[in-house]
Amino acid sequence: MANNVLLSSLTPGQKGTIMLISGPGQIRRRYMEMGFVKGEVVQVKRLAPLGDPVEYQVKGYRVSLRQTDAARIEVTLCHGSEDE
Amino acid sequence: MSNLTIALAGNPNAGKSTIFNALTGMHQHTGNWPGKTVELKSGAFSYQDTTIKLVDLPGTYSLAAFSPDEVVARDFIISAHPDVVICVVDATNLERNLYLAVQILELGVAVVIALNMADQAKALGINIDQSRLSELLGGVPIVPTAASKGVGIDQLLATAVEHGLQRVRSTHSAEVGNTTCQCATPGAFTIDYGDEIERAITGLSLAATQNNLPLNGYCSRWLVLKLLEGEDDIVKNVAALPNGDKITVEAVAEATRLESQFGDDLDILTADHRYSAISSINRQVSLRRTSTQATLTERIDTIVANRLLGLPVFLFVMYLVFRLVIDVSAPYVDWIDTVINGPLTAGITASLTRLGAAAWIQSLLIDGVVAGVGGVLTFVPGLIVLFLFLALLEDSGYMARAAFVMDRFMQRVGLHGKSVIPLMLGFGCAVPAVYATRTIANRRDRLLTALLVPFMSCAARLPVYLVFAMAFFGSKAGTVIWLLYLLGVIVAILVGLILSRFVLKPGENSAFVMELPPYRMPTINTLAIHTWEHTRQFIRNAGTVILAISILLWFLLNMPWGVSNQEDSYYGQISAAIAPLMQPAGFGSYETSGALITGFIAKEMVVSTLSQVYTGEDLATNARASTGSIGQELIGVVIGFAQATADSFRTLISLIPGVNLIKPGNTEETALSLAIRNNFTPLSAVAFLVFVLLYVPCMATIGAIKQEFGGRWAASAAVYQTVVAWLFAVLVFQGGRLLGIG
Repeated sequence: MANNVLLSSLTPGQKGTIMLISGPGQIRRRYMEMGFVKGEVVQVKRLAPLGDPVEYQVKGYRVSLRQTDAARIEVTLCHGSEDE
Repeated sequence: MSNLTIALAGNPNAGKSTIFNALTGMHQHTGNWPGKTVELKSGAFSYQDTTIKLVDLPGTYSLAAFSPDEVVARDFIISAHPDVVICVVDATNLERNLYLAVQILELGVAVVIALNMADQAKALGINIDQSRLSELLGGVPIVPTAASKGVGIDQLLATAVEHGLQRVRSTHSAEVGNTTCQCATPGAFTIDYGDEIERAITGLSLAATQNNLPLNGYCSRWLVLKLLEGEDDIVKNVAALPNGDKITVEAVAEATRLESQFGDDLDILTADHRYSAISSINRQVSLRRTSTQATLTERIDTIVANRLLGLPVFLFVMYLVFRLVIDVSAPYVDWIDTVINGPLTAGITASLTRLGAAAWIQSLLIDGVVAGVGGVLTFVPGLIVLFLFLALLEDSGYMARAAFVMDRFMQRVGLHGKSVIPLMLGFGCAVPAVYATRTIANRRDRLLTALLVPFMSCAARLPVYLVFAMAFFGSKAGTVIWLLYLLGVIVAILVGLILSRFVLKPGENSAFVMELPPYRMPTINTLAIHTWEHTRQFIRNAGTVILAISILLWFLLNMPWGVSNQEDSYYGQISAAIAPLMQPAGFGSYETSGALITGFIAKEMVVSTLSQVYTGEDLATNARASTGSIGQELIGVVIGFAQATADSFRTLISLIPGVNLIKPGNTEETALSLAIRNNFTPLSAVAFLVFVLLYVPCMATIGAIKQEFGGRWAASAAVYQTVVAWLFAVLVFQGGRLLGIG
């Protein structure tokens, strides 16, 4: 629990397991509907040309979040995640 | 003979519209549903002895009332009582797609699942045990499909019809009214929400029955669950029923108790249960070999969504689309123009003369109807090309990348990356673009996008630019038009900044969550249908509204009866009254004001009005003079078309850098451009074009804004756009004069 980091701090290629999603209920439910569920592994794919939003892979599909939204999600970093 | 209503639901990008198109073909139309203001696409066709009405629901990820699209989809299923819901599930993305499928099943309606893209899933190494999946979902029929190849569509329809008829029969025989939902039947699919929540559901359901709560076709378990989750509109509806408030009060008490016990919102808790049920189903049915090779999508995105290349690619795509629209369609535009003003006008005149029609009837038909509607039809080729490319960008998956690449930028203006899509559609037609804002969940973002859409130069304005730019700028016409489009974008940015700063302040509750679907090759069928749909709407518009207005205009021009001078006609009088207002922008004549008045109704009218007031008579006389047998005329028409096709190909090839097959200096002088040159200076022409670019696109757009956001916003939009247009036109003209241009 101590080494939770914000999803927004991950760099392309890194993976994390979702530990906590904060924010208003409506937004948290939206995240869940789109596959961001506690325990799920998320990988950062790439940043948009202007640095934001960020493309993620979760539940086997691609989705993009803004940095400010990704900062609502806490993950623990998975090691050895540079390649898949 | 029986009737069935089938609703088609599914995630965006699951292939829903491909299935819809495959089932309905060209027999589809968009219309309102009783009691609802939203428009849904539907198609009617018959299958064996059954007349089927297939309704295409908006693509959604969930049935929670988060975005207007979701509310529409959910309300349709609940209140229109479709006999069957076909839920399209993307097999390559089973787990997330099941989330919606499960919610539809929970509604207690008859469901058939189309397991779409089954072929692609197999290619990706995903194997789905269908019979097990059906079993785990309470025996729901599952049909594997590969809609883009037409595989499984027949079986899907057969299964849906069979299932629907079965349901209709059992409903009729049971006739128990309230308890006809499937959730009441044993073995139906339900999610286990855990002891505590289940106890609350049972308790509340019992209370509902004891109080004789009318369910109106709702499944009681589902209704109670929504009350516990605290879904606003459902709570409101139930509270309004007799004894309903008792139930809602009890539900709130239960929910509060459970929430304090579990330490989280109840809708989050239920969503959690739903997802763990789905995860468990997914684990039991899918067998996935993880493929290590980079997919095609991955490879394309390394270029298209690249940090350095993303923006240039976006701009290049936009540029290419508009070059193609203008260059490829131009020869066909000329061809249609020639046909209408030549053989067609001559033919009508000849037949009218033979029939002995009065001169004024001839004038009404030729100068009013043919000149008005015909002028509009000449733009059909350009629109076909435009709609085709927009459909291609949308269906291939590029639009989502455009939103991804542009989001940061849009955010600066106070918008959403998804606003890029309606705004881009705005280059085609503002009306569908306003409706396309529905994909944006947040009302404030939607409204702001819809208010800016009209600044994107719609296709109907292009003819005005073309006529003026050709008349004044010759070979530089393309650049002038490109600059006008750019100006529209710049004004949209400025207005967006001002509006989001002072009027529509950004809310905090919007989250940007956007799927980047895999790239897919759009099917010819879907592209053709989308293109045809949009083009047809345009033509219908030209045929009805514009026809009526053309006739009205003709009367205004010719009344009081026997008026010899246009300026003394009613039209001249009305226009002259407005003209002084336009004087500061450099085009204060009654003719131009008149064209702008009709342009408020539809932009296509600007050119046709000008052509009618400036050259109406001349065009007709020229055409009447042209002689030749019908056979000769027809040959001329065919040769003209072949010539246009050849020219179009030459232009297409010339787009390749370094190749130029276009013969220079073959721009023909039309009567209209001559008249325009006599009545405008280059500077006042530019000011006029700027005004046309920025003021209200058409009545239909204002109608769409009214429908989506209410009359107050529609009226405000009309006023503020006209004011902005006037300001910029005056700025251009006066600024230009100060600089000594024109």
